[in-house]
Amino acid sequence: MTHFQKSDRVVDRVRVQVLETGKGKPLVYFHGAGASGGFDELLPLAEQHRLIVPIHPGFGGSDDDLTINSVLDYVVHYAALFDALKLHEPVDLVGHSLGGWIASLFAIFQGHRVHRLALACPAGLRVPEHPGADLFMIPLEKLPSTLAASPTVLAKMTQGEVTVDIKVARYREMTSLARIIWERSYDPKLDRWLKRVSAPTLILWGEQDKILPVQQARRWADRLESGAEIATFDGVGHLVFLESPDAVKRVAFFLNGGGL
Amino acid sequence: MSVLDRLQFYLMHFMPYPDVVPGRPQGQWVDIPNTHFDPEKGHKLYKEYLDELVLGDELGYDALVVNEHHSTFYSLMPSCSVIAGALIARTRQARICVFGTPITLTYPHRLAEEYAMLDVMSGGRLECAFPLGTGMEYWVNPLNPTNARERFRESMDVLMQAWTKPGPTRFDGEFYHYKYLNPFPLPYQKPHPKIYVVGSGGEDTVQYAAEKGYGYSQVFTPIAAQLKSFESYRSTAVKHGHTPDSESIIISAIPYVAETEAKAIEEARDHILFYFNNLLRTSDQMNTPPGYMPVDRLRKRLEAGVFQSSEITWEALTSVYRTVLGTPDQVAERIAFWCEQAQSSRIIVHLHTGDMPHWKAVKNITLFAEEVIPRLRRKMSPELKAAE
Repeated sequence: MTHFQKSDRVVDRVRVQVLETGKGKPLVYFHGAGASGGFDELLPLAEQHRLIVPIHPGFGGSDDDLTINSVLDYVVHYAALFDALKLHEPVDLVGHSLGGWIASLFAIFQGHRVHRLALACPAGLRVPEHPGADLFMIPLEKLPSTLAASPTVLAKMTQGEVTVDIKVARYREMTSLARIIWERSYDPKLDRWLKRVSAPTLILWGEQDKILPVQQARRWADRLESGAEIATFDGVGHLVFLESPDAVKRVAFFLNGGGL
Repeated sequence: MSVLDRLQFYLMHFMPYPDVVPGRPQGQWVDIPNTHFDPEKGHKLYKEYLDELVLGDELGYDALVVNEHHSTFYSLMPSCSVIAGALIARTRQARICVFGTPITLTYPHRLAEEYAMLDVMSGGRLECAFPLGTGMEYWVNPLNPTNARERFRESMDVLMQAWTKPGPTRFDGEFYHYKYLNPFPLPYQKPHPKIYVVGSGGEDTVQYAAEKGYGYSQVFTPIAAQLKSFESYRSTAVKHGHTPDSESIIISAIPYVAETEAKAIEEARDHILFYFNNLLRTSDQMNTPPGYMPVDRLRKRLEAGVFQSSEITWEALTSVYRTVLGTPDQVAERIAFWCEQAQSSRIIVHLHTGDMPHWKAVKNITLFAEEVIPRLRRKMSPELKAAE
């Protein structure tokens, strides 16, 4: 379980890349709005699961789907991808940031496909008292320190030259993100719909998250109504799993049935 | 017949608020603290700027041009139509050019209505230009840059249907849905006022203008790039069965006239530099929100090392943009050259620039009308002069 296997799938005529490793019950991970860094920090989850990391259309190694212009479009995409991957039994679903937003909607509308749900600093809830940062306005040179609080992660992120290729790749991913959230970076309907999630849910958050404030965690737990647990991590920013192996362990523990 | 035989002079104003917020390398757009706006200063500026354009009408400029930008010290005109209304009331002969509201930033039927009002109020003096809007506008108007170009095309379809198909009509689009598209009033000019599309170098904008047979203008780009676009525009227009002529392209210039070249430079140079370095300047982030520019165009730009926030030098400025500071003879010679180079008989002149005080703008507008325009008229071909 030392590395991911990459494969391509075509879903609704869009080629997407899927990373997989490990054996056991499927664990699907919905990533956030940046897929260029890889996901090696998640490998411990493959010790007891078949870990599946599909790359969203418009990000990383997947092609663009210009007909996707809402977060709900991603939910429909994933219903089709789950069929293509023959994931007919309920899976454990983990979502980070934008991926958490997609995962929560998936748990609402495709709830029969979800066993347990873990949301790491999920986006999508309207919390005007603790609003999220405008990711689009953060200049490239300030991005690492806005995303990560961990000094070791920060050092790794600021290594190396920022090439034209890197800038173009980032612009392309930000365009895919803008397509779905430029006008509004939350969905007021989530307030109304989250109570429909029946899967046991764990919410994780870095206490030093500068993109989505940790105070939003409470609102998620309140709206979920099914008794969601909250786990916060000191010294950790927005890149929860990259910055905190403990957060990865916590997810594994939760998915195994461990909890408060 | 040379383009010089039919020259028309469009006096344009950007109406800036020159008391810029200091210490902002990212420029005066989008997130400038608007508490820096002083309404008394603003009132004085509107009065002076409107006086300058009205003077243009009195001195016989063919057209007066205003445009629109939001949330920026670059411009006091977040509504083009409001200023145009103020101008119409105070002018008699000059055409009034709304060059213009980015149509994506408003409901297209509202623009059809507003422009129709302006055309009827002025007795048919309106000309319109439709820009996509700079990237900066998309931060402060809650509108998605990723599909702005598609929205632009659909908005223009709505506008043209509103103006040319007897209402009420239906419109069932991707972005706009009308059960009763029925603007009242309709334009004075039939079928509608002259239409230009304004771009900043994107091939799709050039193609769109040429395909539809609209006029074309290109701003914020070096002359060489403009000339390439004009070539592309003309050949595409012909392919679509249109006949582009010298009135299809509008070029723009920043001239300053004075008694001697040295005086012109002394009076105007710093104000022009101020315009480029303090008003126009913005950050790459703000100028190019995600999806606003096609990825391959962005790549070309990054590889060429072009940055929005770099400071421009006088040498660079004068070699890539149409600037001329000199005597009436010098200014007339340059303008004739540029018009012939672009095969355009319509030139926009910015005679107030940057933080130029009112008296200099008045001097420039007056000298240009009284000394430069007659010199250019004298360059008309002999046959035409004989006919006069």
